Amino acid sequence: MNWYRHEDTVDRLASAYVLGTLTGRARQRFETAMGSQPGLQRAVAAWTRRLAPLLLALAPVQPSPQLWPAIARVTLSPSAPALPWWQRWLAPLPAGMLAMGLVLGTLVPWLWQAQHAVPEGSQLMAQLPASYVGVLATQAGKPGLIVSSLRHSRAVDIKQVTPMVVSAGAGLYLWRIDKAGGISPIGPLPQGPWVQVNLDQTAEQVFAQAQELAVSVEPLGSRPTVPSQDFVYRGLCAKLWK
Amino acid sequence: MSDTQEVESLLARIALRDATAFKALYDVTARQLLAVAMRVLQNRAVAEEVVQEVFVKIWNQSVHGAPGQTRSLAWLCVITRNRAVDFLRQQRPETPLVWQDAEGQEQHHDVSSEEGSVEDQLLAHEQDLRLGGCMGGLATEPRLALILAFYEGLTHPQIAERMRRPLGTIKAWTRRSLLRLKGCLEAAA
Repeated sequence: MNWYRHEDTVDRLASAYVLGTLTGRARQRFETAMGSQPGLQRAVAAWTRRLAPLLLALAPVQPSPQLWPAIARVTLSPSAPALPWWQRWLAPLPAGMLAMGLVLGTLVPWLWQAQHAVPEGSQLMAQLPASYVGVLATQAGKPGLIVSSLRHSRAVDIKQVTPMVVSAGAGLYLWRIDKAGGISPIGPLPQGPWVQVNLDQTAEQVFAQAQELAVSVEPLGSRPTVPSQDFVYRGLCAKLWK
Repeated sequence: MSDTQEVESLLARIALRDATAFKALYDVTARQLLAVAMRVLQNRAVAEEVVQEVFVKIWNQSVHGAPGQTRSLAWLCVITRNRAVDFLRQQRPETPLVWQDAEGQEQHHDVSSEEGSVEDQLLAHEQDLRLGGCMGGLATEPRLALILAFYEGLTHPQIAERMRRPLGTIKAWTRRSLLRLKGCLEAAA
Protein backbone atom coordinates (compact mmCIF):
# COMPACT_ATOMS: atom_id res chain seq x y z
CA MET A 1 0.00 0.00 0.00
CA ASN A 2 1.38 3.39 -0.98
CA TRP A 3 1.08 5.77 1.93
CA TYR A 4 1.33 8.78 -0.36
CA ARG A 5 -2.12 7.96 -1.77
CA HIS A 6 -3.70 8.67 1.61
CA GLU A 7 -4.50 12.34 1.95
CA ASP A 8 -4.44 12.36 5.76
CA THR A 9 -1.08 10.62 5.92
CA VAL A 10 0.40 12.95 3.32
CA ASP A 11 -0.90 15.98 5.19
CA ARG A 12 0.41 14.72 8.53
CA LEU A 13 3.86 13.97 7.18
CA ALA A 14 4.05 17.18 5.14
CA SER A 15 3.16 19.28 8.19
CA ALA A 16 5.78 17.48 10.30
CA TYR A 17 8.32 17.90 7.50
CA VAL A 18 7.79 21.66 7.30
CA LEU A 19 7.60 22.04 11.07
CA GLY A 20 10.86 20.11 11.36
CA THR A 21 9.68 17.29 13.61
CA LEU A 22 10.06 14.68 10.86
CA THR A 23 13.64 13.63 11.38
CA GLY A 24 16.25 11.03 10.50
CA ARG A 25 15.54 8.33 7.95
CA ALA A 26 11.83 9.13 7.87
CA ARG A 27 12.74 12.63 6.67
CA GLN A 28 15.10 11.22 4.03
CA ARG A 29 12.44 8.76 2.79
CA PHE A 30 9.91 11.58 2.64
CA GLU A 31 12.29 13.78 0.62
CA THR A 32 12.98 10.93 -1.79
CA ALA A 33 9.27 10.32 -2.30
CA MET A 34 8.67 14.05 -2.71
CA GLY A 35 10.96 14.03 -5.76
CA SER A 36 8.45 11.99 -7.72
CA GLN A 37 5.10 12.65 -6.06
CA PRO A 38 3.37 15.93 -6.99
CA GLY A 39 0.85 15.35 -4.20
CA LEU A 40 3.61 15.50 -1.59
CA GLN A 41 5.10 18.56 -3.25
CA ARG A 42 1.73 20.30 -3.13
CA ALA A 43 1.19 19.39 0.53
CA VAL A 44 4.65 20.67 1.50
CA ALA A 45 4.13 23.86 -0.51
CA ALA A 46 0.79 24.41 1.24
CA TRP A 47 2.31 23.95 4.72
CA THR A 48 5.22 26.20 3.75
CA ARG A 49 2.70 28.89 2.78
CA ARG A 50 0.84 28.43 6.07
CA LEU A 51 3.87 28.55 8.37
CA ALA A 52 6.22 30.88 6.45
CA PRO A 53 4.54 34.01 7.88
CA LEU A 54 6.09 32.97 11.21
CA LEU A 55 9.45 33.66 9.56
CA LEU A 56 8.40 36.64 7.45
CA ALA A 57 7.00 38.34 10.56
CA LEU A 58 10.38 38.48 12.25
CA ALA A 59 11.87 41.96 12.42
CA PRO A 60 14.60 42.22 9.72
CA VAL A 61 18.17 42.31 10.98
CA GLN A 62 20.80 44.40 9.21
CA PRO A 63 23.76 42.21 8.24
CA SER A 64 27.23 43.30 9.24
CA PRO A 65 29.22 45.19 6.57
CA GLN A 66 31.50 42.15 6.27
CA LEU A 67 28.80 39.70 5.16
CA TRP A 68 28.38 40.67 1.51
CA PRO A 69 32.15 40.95 0.84
CA ALA A 70 32.56 37.50 2.39
CA ILE A 71 29.88 36.05 0.11
CA ALA A 72 31.25 37.86 -2.96
CA ARG A 73 34.77 36.66 -2.19
CA VAL A 74 33.80 33.00 -2.54
CA THR A 75 31.36 33.46 -5.40
CA LEU A 76 32.09 36.49 -7.59
CA SER A 77 35.73 37.27 -6.86
CA PRO A 78 37.86 37.32 -10.03
CA SER A 79 40.70 35.94 -7.90
CA ALA A 80 38.68 32.78 -7.33
CA PRO A 81 39.96 30.30 -9.90
CA ALA A 82 37.43 29.71 -12.64
CA LEU A 83 36.48 26.07 -12.73
CA PRO A 84 36.91 24.29 -16.04
CA TRP A 85 33.64 23.14 -17.60
CA TRP A 86 34.18 19.52 -16.64
CA GLN A 87 34.65 20.43 -12.97
CA ARG A 88 31.52 22.59 -13.01
CA TRP A 89 29.73 19.62 -14.47
CA LEU A 90 31.06 17.20 -11.88
CA ALA A 91 30.77 19.49 -8.86
CA PRO A 92 27.03 19.22 -8.14
CA LEU A 93 26.82 15.52 -8.88
CA PRO A 94 29.58 13.61 -7.17
CA ALA A 95 27.32 10.78 -6.08
CA GLY A 96 25.92 10.32 -9.53
CA MET A 97 29.13 10.07 -11.45
CA LEU A 98 29.64 6.36 -11.05
CA ALA A 99 26.06 5.65 -11.99
CA MET A 100 26.30 7.96 -14.98
CA GLY A 101 29.49 6.27 -16.10
CA LEU A 102 27.74 2.94 -15.87
CA VAL A 103 24.86 4.26 -17.92
CA LEU A 104 27.23 5.64 -20.56
CA GLY A 105 29.09 2.34 -20.55
CA THR A 106 25.92 0.43 -21.29
CA LEU A 107 24.50 3.08 -23.60
CA VAL A 108 27.31 3.17 -26.13
CA PRO A 109 27.18 -0.54 -26.99
CA TRP A 110 23.41 -0.32 -27.10
CA LEU A 111 23.55 2.65 -29.51
CA TRP A 112 26.00 0.74 -31.58
CA GLN A 113 23.68 -2.23 -31.85
CA ALA A 114 20.51 -0.21 -32.34
CA GLN A 115 21.79 2.10 -35.01
CA HIS A 116 24.20 -0.16 -36.86
CA ALA A 117 22.79 -3.63 -36.79
CA VAL A 118 24.56 -5.45 -39.56
CA PRO A 119 23.44 -8.53 -41.48
CA GLU A 120 24.75 -11.75 -40.10
CA GLY A 121 27.99 -12.69 -41.76
CA SER A 122 28.88 -9.18 -42.93
CA GLN A 123 31.97 -7.45 -41.64
CA LEU A 124 31.47 -5.46 -38.42
CA MET A 125 32.01 -1.74 -38.73
CA ALA A 126 35.11 -0.49 -37.02
CA GLN A 127 33.65 2.58 -35.28
CA LEU A 128 30.50 4.04 -33.79
CA PRO A 129 28.25 6.22 -35.93
CA ALA A 130 28.88 9.94 -35.50
CA SER A 131 26.35 10.87 -32.83
CA TYR A 132 25.62 13.34 -30.08
CA VAL A 133 24.87 11.73 -26.72
CA GLY A 134 23.78 13.45 -23.54
CA VAL A 135 23.66 11.65 -20.20
CA LEU A 136 21.75 13.80 -17.75
CA ALA A 137 21.48 13.28 -14.01
CA THR A 138 18.64 14.19 -11.66
CA GLN A 139 19.16 16.75 -8.90
CA ALA A 140 19.86 13.80 -6.59
CA GLY A 141 22.69 12.68 -8.86
CA LYS A 142 20.89 9.63 -10.24
CA PRO A 143 20.95 8.81 -13.95
CA GLY A 144 17.94 10.67 -15.27
CA LEU A 145 17.73 11.12 -19.01
CA ILE A 146 19.61 9.91 -22.08
CA VAL A 147 19.53 12.07 -25.21
CA SER A 148 20.94 10.78 -28.47
CA SER A 149 20.93 11.85 -32.09
CA LEU A 150 22.91 10.97 -35.19
CA ARG A 151 25.15 13.89 -36.12
CA HIS A 152 23.26 14.92 -39.27
CA SER A 153 19.81 13.76 -38.21
CA ARG A 154 16.89 16.00 -37.31
CA ALA A 155 15.49 13.43 -34.87
CA VAL A 156 16.47 13.10 -31.22
CA ASP A 157 15.76 9.98 -29.18
CA ILE A 158 15.16 10.49 -25.48
CA LYS A 159 15.01 7.82 -22.81
CA GLN A 160 13.80 8.75 -19.33
CA VAL A 161 15.81 6.58 -16.94
CA THR A 162 14.35 8.27 -13.87
CA PRO A 163 10.90 9.69 -14.68
CA MET A 164 10.10 13.20 -13.48
CA VAL A 165 6.48 13.77 -12.53
CA VAL A 166 5.44 17.38 -13.08
CA SER A 167 2.29 19.27 -12.11
CA ALA A 168 -0.66 19.62 -14.45
CA GLY A 169 -0.07 22.51 -16.87
CA ALA A 170 3.68 22.08 -16.82
CA GLY A 171 6.12 20.15 -18.97
CA LEU A 172 9.79 19.40 -19.46
CA TYR A 173 11.91 21.77 -21.56
CA LEU A 174 15.34 21.00 -23.02
CA TRP A 175 18.21 23.51 -22.85
CA ARG A 176 21.70 23.68 -24.28
CA ILE A 177 24.59 25.05 -22.19
CA ASP A 178 27.68 26.20 -24.09
CA LYS A 179 31.30 26.29 -22.98
CA ALA A 180 30.94 29.82 -21.57
CA GLY A 181 27.92 28.78 -19.52
CA GLY A 182 25.40 30.45 -21.85
CA ILE A 183 22.00 28.78 -21.80
CA SER A 184 19.73 28.63 -24.85
CA PRO A 185 16.42 26.85 -25.41
CA ILE A 186 16.07 23.78 -27.64
CA GLY A 187 12.43 22.88 -27.15
CA PRO A 188 9.77 21.05 -25.13
CA LEU A 189 10.18 17.37 -24.31
CA PRO A 190 7.17 15.07 -24.35
CA GLN A 191 6.77 12.86 -21.30
CA GLY A 192 7.37 9.15 -21.73
CA PRO A 193 9.91 6.45 -21.09
CA TRP A 194 11.05 6.59 -24.71
CA VAL A 195 10.18 9.52 -26.99
CA GLN A 196 11.46 11.03 -30.21
CA VAL A 197 11.60 14.78 -30.85
CA ASN A 198 12.02 16.36 -34.28
CA LEU A 199 14.41 19.30 -34.53
CA ASP A 200 14.06 22.31 -36.83
CA GLN A 201 17.78 21.98 -37.61
CA THR A 202 20.21 19.10 -37.73
CA ALA A 203 21.70 17.73 -34.53
CA GLU A 204 25.03 19.16 -35.67
CA GLN A 205 23.57 22.69 -35.76
CA VAL A 206 21.72 22.27 -32.46
CA PHE A 207 24.30 20.45 -30.36
CA ALA A 208 27.69 21.45 -31.83
CA GLN A 209 28.22 24.21 -29.27
CA ALA A 210 26.62 22.30 -26.39
CA GLN A 211 28.89 21.38 -23.54
CA GLU A 212 25.99 20.29 -21.41
CA LEU A 213 22.27 19.65 -21.80
CA ALA A 214 19.71 20.42 -19.14
CA VAL A 215 15.98 20.15 -18.58
CA SER A 216 13.73 22.44 -16.59
CA VAL A 217 10.00 22.40 -15.82
CA GLU A 218 8.13 25.13 -17.69
CA PRO A 219 4.46 26.00 -18.30
CA LEU A 220 3.02 23.86 -21.10
CA GLY A 221 3.00 25.68 -24.42
CA SER A 222 5.44 28.35 -23.29
CA ARG A 223 8.55 29.31 -25.26
CA PRO A 224 10.92 30.47 -22.52
CA THR A 225 14.19 32.20 -23.36
CA VAL A 226 15.64 31.53 -19.91
CA PRO A 227 14.76 28.72 -17.52
CA SER A 228 12.25 29.86 -14.93
CA GLN A 229 13.33 27.24 -12.37
CA ASP A 230 16.24 25.06 -11.39
CA PHE A 231 17.12 22.26 -13.78
CA VAL A 232 15.62 18.91 -12.95
CA TYR A 233 18.05 17.03 -15.22
CA ARG A 234 21.54 18.15 -16.22
CA GLY A 235 24.60 16.50 -17.74
CA LEU A 236 27.35 16.34 -20.31
CA CYS A 237 26.71 16.41 -24.05
CA ALA A 238 29.32 14.34 -25.86
CA LYS A 239 30.29 13.97 -29.51
CA LEU A 240 30.82 10.32 -30.38
CA TRP A 241 33.21 10.49 -33.31
CA LYS A 242 36.91 10.97 -33.87
CA MET B 1 6.38 43.30 -9.43
CA SER B 2 5.43 41.20 -6.40
CA ASP B 3 7.98 39.86 -3.93
CA THR B 4 7.54 36.37 -5.37
CA GLN B 5 7.97 37.52 -8.97
CA GLU B 6 11.02 39.59 -8.04
CA VAL B 7 12.73 36.69 -6.25
CA GLU B 8 11.80 34.26 -9.07
CA SER B 9 13.16 36.66 -11.68
CA LEU B 10 16.40 37.26 -9.79
CA LEU B 11 16.94 33.52 -9.26
CA ALA B 12 16.41 32.87 -12.99
CA ARG B 13 19.04 35.53 -13.81
CA ILE B 14 21.41 34.08 -11.19
CA ALA B 15 21.11 30.71 -12.98
CA LEU B 16 22.70 32.54 -15.93
CA ARG B 17 25.55 33.73 -13.66
CA ASP B 18 24.24 37.33 -13.47
CA ALA B 19 26.30 38.89 -10.65
CA THR B 20 24.11 42.01 -10.58
CA ALA B 21 21.06 39.87 -9.94
CA PHE B 22 22.93 38.02 -7.18
CA LYS B 23 23.74 41.29 -5.38
CA ALA B 24 20.16 42.48 -5.90
CA LEU B 25 18.83 39.27 -4.33
CA TYR B 26 21.14 39.81 -1.38
CA ASP B 27 19.91 43.40 -0.97
CA VAL B 28 16.27 42.30 -1.13
CA THR B 29 16.42 39.24 1.12
CA ALA B 30 19.52 39.21 3.37
CA ARG B 31 17.96 41.19 6.25
CA GLN B 32 15.01 38.80 6.50
CA LEU B 33 17.15 35.68 6.09
CA LEU B 34 19.50 36.91 8.81
CA ALA B 35 16.51 37.53 11.10
CA VAL B 36 15.41 33.93 10.53
CA ALA B 37 18.87 32.50 11.17
CA MET B 38 19.33 34.63 14.30
CA ARG B 39 15.93 33.61 15.65
CA VAL B 40 16.95 29.97 15.45
CA LEU B 41 20.61 30.27 16.42
CA GLN B 42 20.54 33.26 18.83
CA ASN B 43 24.05 34.15 17.69
CA ARG B 44 24.85 36.79 15.05
CA ALA B 45 28.21 35.40 13.96
CA VAL B 46 26.89 31.89 13.44
CA ALA B 47 23.71 33.21 11.83
CA GLU B 48 25.77 35.21 9.31
CA GLU B 49 27.73 32.03 8.53
CA VAL B 50 24.47 30.24 7.77
CA VAL B 51 23.21 33.11 5.58
CA GLN B 52 26.55 33.14 3.75
CA GLU B 53 26.24 29.40 3.16
CA VAL B 54 22.71 29.82 1.79
CA PHE B 55 23.84 32.52 -0.67
CA VAL B 56 26.84 30.49 -1.81
CA LYS B 57 24.50 27.56 -2.48
CA ILE B 58 22.15 29.82 -4.41
CA TRP B 59 25.06 31.02 -6.58
CA ASN B 60 26.32 27.47 -7.09
CA GLN B 61 22.81 26.31 -8.04
CA SER B 62 22.71 23.74 -5.27
CA VAL B 63 19.52 25.08 -3.69
CA HIS B 64 16.63 23.38 -5.39
CA GLY B 65 12.92 23.60 -5.12
CA ALA B 66 10.58 20.79 -5.98
CA PRO B 67 9.44 20.92 -9.62
CA GLY B 68 6.72 23.52 -9.93
CA GLN B 69 7.40 25.02 -6.51
CA THR B 70 7.18 28.80 -6.24
CA ARG B 71 10.51 30.26 -5.22
CA SER B 72 9.72 33.28 -3.08
CA LEU B 73 11.20 35.11 -0.11
CA ALA B 74 9.11 32.75 2.06
CA TRP B 75 10.77 29.77 0.36
CA LEU B 76 14.25 31.25 0.98
CA CYS B 77 13.29 31.87 4.62
CA VAL B 78 12.32 28.21 5.01
CA ILE B 79 15.59 27.08 3.41
CA THR B 80 17.55 29.35 5.75
CA ARG B 81 15.56 28.14 8.75
CA ASN B 82 16.18 24.50 7.79
CA ARG B 83 19.92 25.10 7.41
CA ALA B 84 20.03 26.91 10.76
CA VAL B 85 18.18 24.02 12.39
CA ASP B 86 20.61 21.52 10.83
CA PHE B 87 23.48 23.55 12.27
CA LEU B 88 21.82 23.75 15.65
CA ARG B 89 21.20 19.99 15.78
CA GLN B 90 24.89 19.41 15.21
CA GLN B 91 25.97 21.86 17.90
CA ARG B 92 23.27 22.21 20.50
CA PRO B 93 24.12 21.66 24.15
CA GLU B 94 20.84 20.53 25.68
CA THR B 95 19.22 23.10 27.90
CA PRO B 96 16.01 22.18 29.69
CA LEU B 97 13.13 24.62 29.48
CA VAL B 98 12.62 24.50 33.23
CA TRP B 99 15.38 23.74 35.69
CA GLN B 100 16.45 24.33 39.27
CA ASP B 101 19.35 26.66 39.98
CA ALA B 102 22.03 26.19 42.66
CA GLU B 103 19.66 27.62 45.31
CA GLY B 104 16.93 25.16 44.33
CA GLN B 105 14.82 27.89 42.71
CA GLU B 106 12.90 26.89 39.60
CA GLN B 107 14.11 28.76 36.50
CA HIS B 108 12.41 29.04 33.13
CA HIS B 109 14.03 29.24 29.73
CA ASP B 110 12.51 32.26 27.95
CA VAL B 111 11.61 31.34 24.39
CA SER B 112 10.28 34.80 23.54
CA SER B 113 12.50 37.08 21.54
CA GLU B 114 13.29 40.66 22.51
CA GLU B 115 10.72 41.92 20.02
CA GLY B 116 7.88 40.31 21.94
CA SER B 117 5.92 37.10 21.53
CA VAL B 118 5.46 35.43 18.19
CA GLU B 119 1.80 36.45 18.24
CA ASP B 120 2.76 40.08 18.89
CA GLN B 121 5.13 40.04 15.96
CA LEU B 122 2.57 38.45 13.66
CA LEU B 123 -0.14 40.87 14.73
CA ALA B 124 2.19 43.76 13.92
CA HIS B 125 2.15 42.68 10.28
CA GLU B 126 -1.19 43.23 8.65
CA GLN B 127 -0.72 40.44 6.11
CA ASP B 128 -0.06 37.96 8.92
CA LEU B 129 -3.06 38.87 11.03
CA ARG B 130 -4.79 35.60 10.23
CA LEU B 131 -1.90 33.39 11.31
CA GLY B 132 -1.30 35.56 14.38
CA GLY B 133 -4.94 35.27 15.35
CA CYS B 134 -4.92 31.53 14.78
CA MET B 135 -1.72 31.07 16.79
CA GLY B 136 -3.27 33.11 19.59
CA GLY B 137 -6.21 30.71 19.61
CA LEU B 138 -4.04 27.74 20.54
CA ALA B 139 -3.68 26.67 24.14
CA THR B 140 -0.48 27.92 25.78
CA GLU B 141 1.47 24.70 26.07
CA PRO B 142 0.64 23.25 22.64
CA ARG B 143 1.52 26.65 21.12
CA LEU B 144 4.84 26.62 22.95
CA ALA B 145 5.57 23.11 21.65
CA LEU B 146 4.90 24.34 18.12
CA ILE B 147 7.14 27.37 18.58
CA LEU B 148 9.96 25.27 20.03
CA ALA B 149 9.80 22.98 17.01
CA PHE B 150 9.58 25.70 14.39
CA TYR B 151 11.89 28.37 15.77
CA GLU B 152 14.34 26.31 17.76
CA GLY B 153 14.40 23.18 15.64
CA LEU B 154 13.62 20.86 18.53
CA THR B 155 12.48 17.31 17.80
CA HIS B 156 9.54 15.73 19.62
CA PRO B 157 11.76 14.00 22.23
CA GLN B 158 13.70 17.24 22.81
CA ILE B 159 10.48 19.20 23.30
CA ALA B 160 9.25 16.53 25.69
CA GLU B 161 12.44 16.84 27.69
CA ARG B 162 12.35 20.62 27.71
CA MET B 163 8.69 20.84 28.69
CA ARG B 164 8.86 17.82 30.96
CA ARG B 165 5.85 16.23 29.34
CA PRO B 166 5.37 12.70 27.95
CA LEU B 167 6.48 12.23 24.36
CA GLY B 168 2.99 11.12 23.31
CA THR B 169 1.51 14.32 24.72
CA ILE B 170 3.97 16.44 22.75
CA LYS B 171 3.23 14.57 19.53
CA ALA B 172 -0.50 14.96 20.07
CA TRP B 173 -0.12 18.66 20.88
CA THR B 174 1.90 19.50 17.78
CA ARG B 175 -0.36 17.50 15.46
CA ARG B 176 -3.55 18.93 16.91
CA SER B 177 -2.11 22.45 16.89
CA LEU B 178 -1.16 22.13 13.23
CA LEU B 179 -4.63 20.83 12.34
CA ARG B 180 -6.24 23.67 14.26
CA LEU B 181 -4.01 26.20 12.52
CA LYS B 182 -4.93 24.74 9.14
CA GLY B 183 -8.64 24.79 9.94
CA CYS B 184 -8.46 28.30 11.38
CA LEU B 185 -6.56 29.65 8.35
CA GLU B 186 -8.95 28.00 5.90
CA ALA B 187 -11.96 29.33 7.79
CA ALA B 188 -10.50 32.83 7.79
CA ALA B 189 -9.66 32.74 4.06
